[in-house]
Amino acid sequence: MPLLRVDSMTHYFGGLRAVHNYDLAIEPGQIRGLIGPNGAGKTTIFNLITGRYTPTEGKIVLEDREITGLQPHQIASLGLGRTFQNLRLWRHMNVLDHVKMAHYSKITYGLMGAFFGTPKRTREEAEIEDESYSLLELVGVSHLADQIVTNLPYGAQRRVELARALATQPKILFLDEPTAGMNPEELAQMMEIIRHVHAELELAIFLIEHRMKVVMDLCQVIQTLVFGEVIAEGNPDEIRNNPMVIDAYLGKEVEV
Amino acid sequence: MTFLLQNLINALQWGSFYALIALGYSMVYGVLMLFNFAHGDVFMVGAYIGFFVSSGLLAVAALGFVALPTGVMLALILVLTLIIAMFLNTFVGMAVERIGYRPLRAAPRASAAITGLMIGIILETGNLALFGAQRRSFPTLIETATFQFAGVSVTNKKIMIVLVSLLLMLALHIFVRRTKWGMAMRAMAFDYVVVPLMGVPINLIALLTFGLGSALAAAAGILYGVAYPVLDPYMGILFGWKAFVAAILGGRGSVLGAGLAGFLLGFIEIFVAAIFPSTMRDLIAFSIILLILTVRPHGFFGEPYSARLRL
Amino acid sequence: MGAGLESSTTNRSSMRNRLSSYWEPYSQVPWLGWLVSALIATLLEQLIGTPLARVLGLTKPPALFGLVIMLKEPGLIPSALVYVLLIYLVPIGLVARFGASLANKVAARLLDYPVVLSALVHIALLYATLHLWSGVSDYRLLVVKLTLIAVIVTLSLNVVNGYMGEFSCSHPGFMALGAYGASVFTVLLFVQDSRFGPPLLPLPLVLQHVLFPISLIVGGLVAALGALLVAIPSFRTRGDYLAIISLAFMFIVKSLFENLEFVGGPRGLGNQPDLATLPWVFFWTMACIWIINNFVRSILGKALNAVRDGEMAADAMTVNTRHTKMVAFLFAAFWAGVSGGLFAHVLRYINPGTFGIRKLAEVLAMVYLGGLNSVAGSVVGAVGFNLLSEALRPLEIFKWIIIPVLLIVLMVFRPTGLIAFTELDVGELLKPKVKPEEEVEYAAATR
Repeated sequence: MPLLRVDSMTHYFGGLRAVHNYDLAIEPGQIRGLIGPNGAGKTTIFNLITGRYTPTEGKIVLEDREITGLQPHQIASLGLGRTFQNLRLWRHMNVLDHVKMAHYSKITYGLMGAFFGTPKRTREEAEIEDESYSLLELVGVSHLADQIVTNLPYGAQRRVELARALATQPKILFLDEPTAGMNPEELAQMMEIIRHVHAELELAIFLIEHRMKVVMDLCQVIQTLVFGEVIAEGNPDEIRNNPMVIDAYLGKEVEV
Repeated sequence: MTFLLQNLINALQWGSFYALIALGYSMVYGVLMLFNFAHGDVFMVGAYIGFFVSSGLLAVAALGFVALPTGVMLALILVLTLIIAMFLNTFVGMAVERIGYRPLRAAPRASAAITGLMIGIILETGNLALFGAQRRSFPTLIETATFQFAGVSVTNKKIMIVLVSLLLMLALHIFVRRTKWGMAMRAMAFDYVVVPLMGVPINLIALLTFGLGSALAAAAGILYGVAYPVLDPYMGILFGWKAFVAAILGGRGSVLGAGLAGFLLGFIEIFVAAIFPSTMRDLIAFSIILLILTVRPHGFFGEPYSARLRL
Repeated sequence: MGAGLESSTTNRSSMRNRLSSYWEPYSQVPWLGWLVSALIATLLEQLIGTPLARVLGLTKPPALFGLVIMLKEPGLIPSALVYVLLIYLVPIGLVARFGASLANKVAARLLDYPVVLSALVHIALLYATLHLWSGVSDYRLLVVKLTLIAVIVTLSLNVVNGYMGEFSCSHPGFMALGAYGASVFTVLLFVQDSRFGPPLLPLPLVLQHVLFPISLIVGGLVAALGALLVAIPSFRTRGDYLAIISLAFMFIVKSLFENLEFVGGPRGLGNQPDLATLPWVFFWTMACIWIINNFVRSILGKALNAVRDGEMAADAMTVNTRHTKMVAFLFAAFWAGVSGGLFAHVLRYINPGTFGIRKLAEVLAMVYLGGLNSVAGSVVGAVGFNLLSEALRPLEIFKWIIIPVLLIVLMVFRPTGLIAFTELDVGELLKPKVKPEEEVEYAAATR
């Protein structure tokens, strides 16, 4: 029984077919990769599953519940967290507030609590703050909690974004190029953090990556997407040796 | 039928003013993504410049250096007034850009809207301080002649106003479509970030955009003065804000759309006033606009565009 | 040449040092100390203000710190300055400085009890000061009331334009809805009126005062209802949509009241009962600051910032963005309505013309003067703008050149306003500046 299942999803932008007959089944605890050349539709698939766009055809099921057509915030609160390719942090907010914000759907104190500062609100926000701190510790940036995000180095911003996504308490975490723009040292640290988070929180991870090393090291199953269609699916070795993948994506001269 | 035609003609004239002013808003909004909240008052200043220029020209003509038939002389003065006032008002518009908008180009867009609003208040108050609170009456440059036409009465003024407005809009359209500068403006409207990197001088384009809009506003001011010869320092406020709404109704940065929406606003107002008590004009006109915007959020010709205030 | 330059820079820095060393003792004064000093100054004015003014050749105590007098009659500038110095600056300075250690001790002691007590003591001191100060003349009372109302409306607009980052133009419309809503309520119930007939609920004045908040809440709810009409179409799409819709809405509301004969049409509506006393206005202002500050500091309120700075990320982080925007907009409109209700009952006459473009320009000016996304900024903006506006009154129309010029200069140098993007932590304000145990060390160190 997969955690997330996508059945023959197809999407058109106007007349352009961006995704065709896409299937996916992610098991609990699995780390999956999605690779493919630029413009293959990887981020579109993320956006379709997370509710940014509604697929033209197809069905998305998260733990027995169909989530096709739900609003992004509904899907997110059902347990599908994500990060973005180009960090979308909130410019004027500090690190701690970022992580606290992602607890939004868990809040029960309501507007009256927000307006009048009821004891229930104080208690709830204190609990959220504690949880947020422990998430920041998990990704190793708790010492930056009161910094405004725009003042942080890039690597730290990536970690904040990861902590924020974890704060939505996802069952599956979607990572859109988590190591984009990182230097080798930051890269190694990020991979370590992803492994650590995966082990610690026992969640499934679905990631888009350009760097083969990252995908091959982390993922158990990898899909290769070209022009909106999956041309190959399998474990790292299978993908590495699949002639179609090498032809379409990796190119012959690339050493994997 | 007569009723319809008669009001249609009135609406064409009334809409001309809105259309000309709306173009100024629409260009600034289209090219620079900014609200020029001073534009209504730039219209007012244009009308006043027209008043002083035409009064001056009349005084010169009264000296009798040039002997021309009165009608020809007045027409000449009107043309000269239009040209001179449009030229002078260009500088008013450019001053607004230079003082209120350029220093704030990197700032949140809303802050620039505030400086625009403040410059508008300065223009109103400055006018009040310089020329006093009494209203000015615009000199008569056209002797009214009324034609009866299938039961509809048309004055020569109305024909002139509508024709001149259409001519100016056509000129603007050609400028924007056919010239290098017009192309640069359209390119800026297309991509605010990349185009300046391609060597398009953003400061010049901004000045040009504000200047052109102000020239059209001056024309609107003079034509307004010809039709309703009473000027006061606050005449630009309501006119300006309504034209602003018309500009948005036309669609972001669409010259054609702004012109059409200006006329549409004229039509709505004239017909509402003709059918309902005139006090209900704003109420009904704006309700209709609200409805249109609800159905067509991006105006008539605007492409869906999600701009956010840059904070 | 070189030596001269050097000495001038050292001069300047030494001057700065000297200035900051003058200021240093004052930086140790807690808010409690400032409030007490202000109260003592106003008490002093009650006692000797009038005789002192006579001695100095002024007919009565200057209404607004002498600012008005200075512009009206430049010959009286020295007298006005001396008055301000003797009544306000010197007493406040002395009491604040030499009472600082006591004030710190008291402030620290107060925090031994629940924080509410300390807050109430501070608020009571503030109220007492305002009460005494505004008791000197009706003009002062009016200025104080209108300024407090301006604080409410500025804060509420800041929720939309600052915290949420949209550009709303409909606040005058919401104020109008609140003003008319509350006025109709009180005039209908409490007053014999030519238009509305005998009072439906002829109550003694005391009970009218007690029921006055209901009328304000009615006004606020009417405004919130109007806001719903703006919000439903506006928040479907993004962009500058709200700016236009809200502008059209403002014109519609103004025009609506001009056409509603039963509330007087363009002639306006008067005869509101005299219920907006200083205690009520003060109470509502404090309530507004407290509630809005609570809201914007909660996660639900900070969701506004998330929506502003990245809507896509916000809803990927489970934030219901549409709901967030709607709630905040209605909430802001409610407070604008309340302020409108208070406004109507302070002036006891309103007409539709009051709630037009000019009002919009004023409210926007106050928000951007004080600072976006900041409760403290809005308070500073509203108070600063109102004081400036009253002080420059003798200049007549030139006031409307000076104020816009000042605002343009401010926008150029600080585009988001004086105190933008800050969080107001009331708990911090209540704390002593120097803890008693540190004070001993401090005193030893300075000796």
